[in-house]
Amino acid sequence: MAKIGRIKIRVPHSITKGEVIPVQVLVTHPMETGQRKDKKTKELIPAYYINGVDVYYGDSLITHCDWTIAVSANPFMTFYVKAEKAAPLKIVYKDIKGGVYEKTVQISPQ
Amino acid sequence: MHKLITRILILLSVSFGMLSIIGIQYSFAADGSTPVIKEYKQSVSAEEYEKRYNAVYGKSTEQMAEEGNPADFLLEDGRDLYNKVEGSAGKSCADCHGKNGEKLKGVAATYPKYDPAIKGINTVALQINRCREDNMGAEPLKYESDDQLSLTLYVKSLSNGDPINVRIDGPARPFYEAGEAYYYKRFGQFNFSCALCHVKYAGHMMRANLLSNNRHHADHWPSYRLKWGATGSIQRRFRGCNKNVRQKPEPYQSETYRNLELYLTYQANGLPINVPGFKM
Repeated sequence: MAKIGRIKIRVPHSITKGEVIPVQVLVTHPMETGQRKDKKTKELIPAYYINGVDVYYGDSLITHCDWTIAVSANPFMTFYVKAEKAAPLKIVYKDIKGGVYEKTVQISPQ
Repeated sequence: MHKLITRILILLSVSFGMLSIIGIQYSFAADGSTPVIKEYKQSVSAEEYEKRYNAVYGKSTEQMAEEGNPADFLLEDGRDLYNKVEGSAGKSCADCHGKNGEKLKGVAATYPKYDPAIKGINTVALQINRCREDNMGAEPLKYESDDQLSLTLYVKSLSNGDPINVRIDGPARPFYEAGEAYYYKRFGQFNFSCALCHVKYAGHMMRANLLSNNRHHADHWPSYRLKWGATGSIQRRFRGCNKNVRQKPEPYQSETYRNLELYLTYQANGLPINVPGFKM
């Protein structure tokens, strides 16, 4: 995948207030460990991976993850949120080369 | 000396007799060099193969595909590329084929098919590039590049759910037979043929891998493959298979691969198209 940092968020179509909903997020990233070698040049491929994930619900930071090299390429994660208010859910990925990728999805419980 | 010759003759007749007992039909290629084995029997039925697949791998890949297929991003790009004006004619794909690909719905289910203009088998990827050159005056897209894959994905996704309906009668017949001959021909340092694994021993284990039945080989490409960590076409998979048996791979969209694609897609006739796929 040539384009890095494209994010896809999936939340349920209809949400009732107070329900615990699953949020599924996919991001495209090579997640190079820094331990693989280029097959032709025999040189190490420099490390390039996401090391921080922040999730905001409204204004508050609801979760933070520290990731290391053990996470796969194009990582996919699922977490659960209690939908108490109508607010945007923002997910921010930061990688070790300073790239910041974010996407927002509106959560509007009925 | 005479004794020796008779001994050799006896040995030869015994060995040919053995071959006929095993029941393998050998017919020799035109140049007389490589024997082509005409037919194997499918070792396991499709239902039995399905059962074994579930016992070995379970539903893990299907579940991952449902959760999120990274090839979906390419599909979105393909939609943008379809509406993008390119080339000297100042046209986009949408100008001829309709907004949102209305006129292309169900078309990809009939591909690959015979095309008199190239006197051979035409695939979706090849047709896209020919269309770009002839009608749009644009540069052809490099095979296996993201742009080429995304456009192929988008065009094929318009036929999602339609049963594959590939025709092999009429002028396509010799090309189908050429594809079949390639499928059954042994090659490479390991002296394997495609059919050896995917017909004769399909459903059996090869070390840690279950050899797959060729029924479902051609209905889901281009696919995201975990091994590649990327999306690729069926012809990239052919090249990988060729490398595995130490055979020199052919270039993309070569005549051999197009014929082989026709042969494999015919095996999947009647199955619904399901792109983008998600494979191990």
